[in-house]
Amino acid sequence: MLFGRHSKNPIRIADKEVAGWTYTTCGYCSTGCAIEVGKNARGQVVASRGVGGADVNRGKLCLKGMFEHELFDAKGRGDEPLLRRHLGESFAPVSWDGALDHMTAEIRRIQAQHGRDAFAVVSTGQILTEEFYTLGKLTRGLIGTNNYDGNTTLCMASAVSGYKRSFGSDGPPGCYQDFEHTDCLIAWGSNLPEQHPIIYWRLKEALEKRRFPLIVVDPRVTMFAQFADIHLPVKPGTDVALQNALMHVILAEGLENAEYIAGNTTGIDELRAEVAKWDPTTAAAVCGIDEDSIRNVARLYARAPAAMHIWTMGINQSTHGSDGVVGMNNLALLTGNVGKPGGTALSITGQCNAMGTREWSSCSGLPGYRALEKPEHRAEIAQFWNIDPAFLPQKRGLFQTDIFPAIETGQIRGLWLVATNPLTSMPNTARIRKTLEKLEFLVVQDSYADMETNQYAHLYLPAAVWAEKEGTFTNTERRVNLVRRVTEPRTGTKSDLEIFNELARRFDPEGRVRFPERPAEVFEEMRELSRGRLCDLSGMDHDLIEQRRGIQWPFTRDQREAGEMPPPGGVRLYTTPRSFQYPDGCAKLIPLPFVDNNERPDTQYPFWLNSGRLVEHFHTRTRTGKVGNNNKYSPIPFMEINPDAAVELGIRHQEYVRCVSRRGDALVMAMLTQRVPRDMVFIPFHFFDCVNRLTLGLLDPHSRQPAFKQSAVRVERVADQTAAARLCLEARKY
Amino acid sequence: MNKTECHPPIFEVRADEPDYERLKDPQTRDTTRYGSFIELVPEDSTLRGESLHINGNPEVGGNPNRYKQHGFYFNADNCIGCHACEAACSEKNDNPAHIAFRSVGYVEGGTYPDYQRINISMACNHCEDPVCLKGCPTRAYTKFAEYGAVLQDPDICFGCGYCTWVCPYNAPQLDPVKGQVTKCNMCVDRLEVGLKPACVSACLGNALDFGVVENIPENRIEAKAEIPGFPDPSITRPNIRFQQMRSTHREMTRPDGLPVKYHRDDASGSFQPEVDAVKGGAERQWNWRKLLTSHERAHVMFTLSAQAVLGAFLLLLAGGLGGALTPLARAPVELPLLAGQIALLVFGLFRLNMHLGKPHRFYRGFNNLRWSPVSREIAGISGFFSLLLGYALLAPFSGSLVDVLQGLLGAGAAASGLAGLYFMYRIYRIPARPYWDHWQTATAFAGNALALGAALAGLVALPVLALSGASAAAPAAMLAAAVALGQAIEIAGHLGHARAMRRIGREGSVSWFLQTTRYYWPWVIRNGLLGVNVVAALGIAAGTLDGWALAGAWLLLGLSALAAAAIGRSLFFVVVIPTTMPGAFFWKNQDFVEHARQTGLADQEQVGVVREHHGRFKWDELWATVRATRPRDLVRHVREILVWQRLPGERRR
Repeated sequence: MLFGRHSKNPIRIADKEVAGWTYTTCGYCSTGCAIEVGKNARGQVVASRGVGGADVNRGKLCLKGMFEHELFDAKGRGDEPLLRRHLGESFAPVSWDGALDHMTAEIRRIQAQHGRDAFAVVSTGQILTEEFYTLGKLTRGLIGTNNYDGNTTLCMASAVSGYKRSFGSDGPPGCYQDFEHTDCLIAWGSNLPEQHPIIYWRLKEALEKRRFPLIVVDPRVTMFAQFADIHLPVKPGTDVALQNALMHVILAEGLENAEYIAGNTTGIDELRAEVAKWDPTTAAAVCGIDEDSIRNVARLYARAPAAMHIWTMGINQSTHGSDGVVGMNNLALLTGNVGKPGGTALSITGQCNAMGTREWSSCSGLPGYRALEKPEHRAEIAQFWNIDPAFLPQKRGLFQTDIFPAIETGQIRGLWLVATNPLTSMPNTARIRKTLEKLEFLVVQDSYADMETNQYAHLYLPAAVWAEKEGTFTNTERRVNLVRRVTEPRTGTKSDLEIFNELARRFDPEGRVRFPERPAEVFEEMRELSRGRLCDLSGMDHDLIEQRRGIQWPFTRDQREAGEMPPPGGVRLYTTPRSFQYPDGCAKLIPLPFVDNNERPDTQYPFWLNSGRLVEHFHTRTRTGKVGNNNKYSPIPFMEINPDAAVELGIRHQEYVRCVSRRGDALVMAMLTQRVPRDMVFIPFHFFDCVNRLTLGLLDPHSRQPAFKQSAVRVERVADQTAAARLCLEARKY
Repeated sequence: MNKTECHPPIFEVRADEPDYERLKDPQTRDTTRYGSFIELVPEDSTLRGESLHINGNPEVGGNPNRYKQHGFYFNADNCIGCHACEAACSEKNDNPAHIAFRSVGYVEGGTYPDYQRINISMACNHCEDPVCLKGCPTRAYTKFAEYGAVLQDPDICFGCGYCTWVCPYNAPQLDPVKGQVTKCNMCVDRLEVGLKPACVSACLGNALDFGVVENIPENRIEAKAEIPGFPDPSITRPNIRFQQMRSTHREMTRPDGLPVKYHRDDASGSFQPEVDAVKGGAERQWNWRKLLTSHERAHVMFTLSAQAVLGAFLLLLAGGLGGALTPLARAPVELPLLAGQIALLVFGLFRLNMHLGKPHRFYRGFNNLRWSPVSREIAGISGFFSLLLGYALLAPFSGSLVDVLQGLLGAGAAASGLAGLYFMYRIYRIPARPYWDHWQTATAFAGNALALGAALAGLVALPVLALSGASAAAPAAMLAAAVALGQAIEIAGHLGHARAMRRIGREGSVSWFLQTTRYYWPWVIRNGLLGVNVVAALGIAAGTLDGWALAGAWLLLGLSALAAAAIGRSLFFVVVIPTTMPGAFFWKNQDFVEHARQTGLADQEQVGVVREHHGRFKWDELWATVRATRPRDLVRHVREILVWQRLPGERRR
């Protein structure tokens, strides 16, 4: 005591009395942070902390992870299945057996009346890989619908498509360790500090040790853009024009790696012919980046001993999403920046297990990056699952974004949604509402009964959440991480795996197809199926994954049997010549003609509408919206608008304003900031009945991913602020 | 005996604890830039080697720099505004959404795409001159020799919130639900085992750091005392150092609702707050509801009633000395006048006490006579109240002994009351609140004591005299003159204040801007009333009214004086703008807090805003304290309050 009271009381500091910590993996984004969840002596989950020795996060967590232990008892959790015959009725509780029997009967009825594909399944990037694999087996092997996709169509489909087109297979070739080796990093449409703060920290650590140029391509002046050495405030949707111009400069100035191109790629002539049209002067007029900057960046990138790209939704959620990914791959291939330390094109994924669904869910194909289109793959899987190969379709069915229009027109009559909330997450909410109304049977399987799409469900199945379950996630750098069960599933809920298994028993009463009960046993099946595949994880098991704090694939049985231990990080793909997944081992250089088909601002709708993510929220806020210490940083939707534009419209800071597009309107609170240009507004995408009432969501021709970030709106003053506040409040149950 | 075998460690250090969490201060300097010793107590001090008894753990931490002043280091060039520090703090301290020991706000400037945002993460700065400690009437604060941590004990606190007024950094957090203040504890449990605080360990931008003050972390260059948006460090000599090397724009604005922006002074390179008229809007508004229903209305009622009663009592005493005011001190006026004063003061004290978060802990208000103007005000006004009661009890009796006794009580009451009034004024001379920190506060308080005191005396005396048929002309003229003088004093203060606030810049000018825009009409009416009151009072003083006509005219004058005082005092509390940190768009934005309360968003717990609560007077807790306090403890406690031991510390070169 220095001064103050004469006699001091003991100091009291909050003590959560954690009696034990359980290792698990964060269930929010795709970074794949190892997290320990603490329970007190009474078994209550009370604390979260980052795992110090985990290579991914090295003890750190973002604010979502730090409060992830509050998820288990969050408001709005479902605790019993609910059923109703039609939407006019209110839900009534039903037993699990009753619910699953009814579901089975309804699926059979719809398939019998309208064909097998009239029942669709849309899953997620949120559940465990073992669950994805099981759902795939159930859907492809027993239910037999080809209209089966994941909500990853809204976030990662363009990355998948671009990787497949360039390299012959999905699978991000790089890793976080590349930050420590790169000499130039271009971030395309990625607000890393906000979307993936732990990956940003890894980049920052690398930058503190060794400076290298950081180039950020983003129409908004994010914190990342401010910290960049070069910020390229590109016009929305024109990244491909910029990429073509960068390639133009590289090829025109002979900065390409001719040896690498000759040895590892095909298509250089066609590419050369296309980019010849994109001299920097021409491109500058399209993408809004001046020609000198284009030349400067092209030279910096091409001359760097190792250079890398990272990207997120700014690229993927565009009508040129897949092309944008191919553009980055082209740049990487032209300069030999694939499969070497610091040289890569690394997609920064969205959901915790978007990668797991890509590898194992059978949504777009068959497990282990197998394709429905290949007879040998169908045969292999059919034999392994003990089903008739002819039961499998010969090409993939509809994407999520095509499933909804097929409901609209009556081709699809029933839908099963697993851990996804399209009423909030899909573009053009009004259309989605009308679509959902038309379903004869909608099953919503989710941890939260209050998630908005449940308004249109006939059957609601309450699922266990995150670490109430056990299994694996794969992160952005292809690291298989383990989620250990921290606590029992909430009373009345079942794990997704259990739900799939119970449905499998109903569709296959004879037990022809094996559905293991324990996640570790499911993993063994995946291990078998992964042997010799690109995503080979045959050397892994749950315990080893925990012990190593995650293992990057590939890690093969041969490696394990040779006594090799998986390294803590730094595993890359395509490190040897001609190791790409096309039959000739070469990657493809693909020309990218560019047509601007976006809904651009005009006199009636004079603003670009941009959307994006906030660090405190995850997706449609079904989780973070209930955690006060996350949600409080943005409890209601807001819109960034340039003050110069706002003054002209008579709009004041913190007033409610109405945004109107050709689809509908949205009420938001105006935030006046120069972060956005005079002709653009930005609205976070997390909120129900908000930005997606406005979005058009044109689809990428390759990935079918919607262009969430390019629409046109006008902004109107709201005279009655009290009424606006009321409407805003009524739209927020959480 | 090995202590670690007997007790759990103060804080668990994990086997794989990352290196960045460990404190690194191989060398330290001798003094801070303000000239204070970094080594807080001498080698031979008895304060060394003692346990902090964190949660009762008797372990003594092994940190080699345990007796050195520590502080945060913030690299504003790196902060990404990711809230990890805030979340780590709230997770560790188990804080609900509406409480935060650390908060991130920001300022922004420039034009797209040359736009810049500077985030500022701020908790407690464990100041060299902890104004919170000095202001707290209950002595809930202690500055420890260990790490120089300024810690607050919510078990002592009675929830007056004065520390939240004096702190320029928003560090103390008044919880309306629990009715108490809590704040950053420097994670002393982690420091004891050599770990940096939770917020620092969680930082994802490599912006926040911690160590012995004046030490510059590895890879960092600067240790500045200020960055844009940070209040003047001379107020408290905060133990925080900054790096901010990126070029800034000349003007930086705040995202919260306050019409404050920061302008760079090229000579010093520092930023000065000034009015953001664009954000504020120049419309002339009424805003009656907000003005009259503010959280501080208890202070409005208390200060006005205490001042009025003191003024009236002094006039009554003056009457006892003879002259025109003599009827005030004589039957039939004296008893009703004393009763009126007591009733009004009881009302004021009741309102004051019940605005506390924990009103049943009222007795703790005297604890910090050593430092706190609040304690001294409470002591002065309580003394005044007690002696006034004694004076009033003796009033019905006569006799020389009674007169002598009553004279003594009266003189004591006057002295105590004037001391109370003086410290009531000192309370508001807060450097972190420039609008209050002006002599106008004194003229307003003294002027109101005179004007409202005279008005109160007249409101009782004139009807009583009219009823008894005696002439009231002479005392009324004197009282009217007092009203006129009191209001004139107040006017003089306002004129000086207006001149000063227009010129002062900083938050004072912003308060002035708010007063003349958002509260324009109430302000104009207050000014008009003051003028009218002077003229009317002079009219009464010079006039020939008497009897009921005089009483009626006086009633109008009294109401007008009361209205002027109530509006003026409400403005005083509502427009004050502390020199605090900028908030964000929602979080730490007072305008959004008010919006959430008005619209009902505050009813959703996850919004992070709670409604105002009224502290409940818990008789059982008070009774339990009374029963648990042995006479010996009571004597010791009183001695500690009254005997101001010289404590170590404040060692300056």
